[in-house]
Amino acid sequence: MELLRYIYRRLIQIVIIFFVILTILFFLFHLAPGDPVSRMVDPNLTPEDAQLIIKELGLDQPLWMQYLYYLKNFLTGHFGSSFHYGQPVIDIIGNRLPNTILLFTTSIILSAIVGIYLGKIASWHKGKKTDTLMTLGALITHTVFLPWMALIMIWIFAYRLGWFPITGMISEEVWLNPNAGVWWKMIDVLHHMALPLVTLFLIHFGSYLLIMRSSMLNTLKEDYILTGRAKGLSEKVIRDHHAAPNAALPVVTSVGLSLAFSINGGALTETVFTWPGIGRELVFAVSHNDYPLAMASFLLIAIVVLLSNLVVDILYAYLDPRIRY
Amino acid sequence: MNADRLSANKKILKRPHWINRFLEGWSIYRKNLLGKIGLVLLIFFALMALSSFIPPKIDPMYEPMAGVDPEISKATAPSMRHWLGTDFIGRDLFSQLLVGARIAFLVGISAAFMSVFLGTAIGMIAGYAGRFTDTILMRLADIIMVMPSLLVLLMLSALFSKLSIWFIVLFIALFRWPGVSRVIRAQTLSLKHRPFIEAAKVAGASHLRIIFRHIMPNVLPLSFLYMTFQVTSAIIIEAALAFLGFGDPSTVSWGMMLQWVWKTGHMFKAPYWLLPPGICISLITLSFYMLGRAMDEVLDPRLRKEGENY
Repeated sequence: MELLRYIYRRLIQIVIIFFVILTILFFLFHLAPGDPVSRMVDPNLTPEDAQLIIKELGLDQPLWMQYLYYLKNFLTGHFGSSFHYGQPVIDIIGNRLPNTILLFTTSIILSAIVGIYLGKIASWHKGKKTDTLMTLGALITHTVFLPWMALIMIWIFAYRLGWFPITGMISEEVWLNPNAGVWWKMIDVLHHMALPLVTLFLIHFGSYLLIMRSSMLNTLKEDYILTGRAKGLSEKVIRDHHAAPNAALPVVTSVGLSLAFSINGGALTETVFTWPGIGRELVFAVSHNDYPLAMASFLLIAIVVLLSNLVVDILYAYLDPRIRY
Repeated sequence: MNADRLSANKKILKRPHWINRFLEGWSIYRKNLLGKIGLVLLIFFALMALSSFIPPKIDPMYEPMAGVDPEISKATAPSMRHWLGTDFIGRDLFSQLLVGARIAFLVGISAAFMSVFLGTAIGMIAGYAGRFTDTILMRLADIIMVMPSLLVLLMLSALFSKLSIWFIVLFIALFRWPGVSRVIRAQTLSLKHRPFIEAAKVAGASHLRIIFRHIMPNVLPLSFLYMTFQVTSAIIIEAALAFLGFGDPSTVSWGMMLQWVWKTGHMFKAPYWLLPPGICISLITLSFYMLGRAMDEVLDPRLRKEGENY
């Protein structure tokens, strides 16, 4: 019951934050130097069509009316048409969203699990060779410049060794082949996903490992660990059942706090690997002055960040009942 | 023997207080291997930044942005004339790499300084004022914290066309203060009800005087620590922005060099061009990070007791 009330409260906060972002974006669009009309209307359209869109977006109205139009269009999913693709923006980003979520969630979950596991082991061997190696490795992979690492991965594993495809998410010969079954297609996507996934994983797991390690070292000083030892529990039980679950809590918090950072990294990874996700679409739209597409991609990314924050918070509240009150 | 120790003690007492604190901190820092490595690397990068002025003086073709070797018009491998080779129009990569160090320090340190300044000020005000001010400032911090700063900068560069390097620095600072302000606020809250603050209030000190005279000296070491971590993230954000092609077009940064090698399709052909800028960005962030962790240990005695020496 408390959990539900907590979720409800967080949802309201998220709606307010999103509304603020929406409003700031609107004013930035209208107050930035240059003509806001030319930003929202495709320069390649005929004057009649352009007039139609101006009507639809309310660009001939006073600013506050435009703002209301903007909110209405947002709520009904009218983002306008992309200049580059000539399609409704909502279709394009709706198409890209699953790809981003697939890559993003897999990489975060994978790196959190491995980070927690390795952090636990490192703390257990504190001061020994295993620990030193793991900490150093985590520090280095964590601070490597992500796009550069992506380029190196492509260079070594796709270009030199030829193990993985260089770009994209699917290969046409598989997807156009009528005989190709679902499994075949799935393996094809996984084959394309391997390099971006490994890149994101390497960047993220290090910080989780370091947090888990120091949190574990703090937890091991707690009285209940001493009690466990006094009861004669085995070291393995103490480590895996008494210390680790409590020590993992700060990692969950840090996953939430680093979400914005992960989204930045996700956009860079998608761009370098030409993975057809929203982050890449945003970069593409910005470099081609495709404003409607850029705006919608940005708003969608904001929604993704806010909702994944919510998921992390719920997970945390579930794991740590103290939060709910 | 005894007299020796006595004179040594006198010498320590004679020195100003802050020098003693510094020496004490240094003796702890010195035992940290990673901290030492970080410091050595940073000195190396600082030397790179300083020597970036030399190559253009030798020959105008070593000008990192405008200088082109008159005999070369494509990417060439390292040679005696060009230690790291040349890029796709015959510009010297070594002098570009040197200038990159200057830009990295410039962006990193100025953005970090500004964001820490903002974060410390806002954190102290929020923590000290409490109530309504606190709520508003911390909600604002929450909103900024969940925004992916790189993508916001992308949007801004779409709206304001090419951003200059100072614009980028300013925006990084505006996006990076919330983390600092949360920590400073927490520290301020714990200081607020200590007896010495109460005493200052009773003595009739104004709010401003209490904040600047009594609270600030106690939170500054923490801000200083956060500065090293802010430098890291500022350098990364600038490099990523330049890598995507939205950097300041009038500067040569390491991110820009990577953007050129990537966009001109040389990444499979020219490892001498692909490797150095990436290694430099990664190493400079790593060394600031190690510096921060080592300083963490100096400032937080709890970490020291664990006997962590890396």
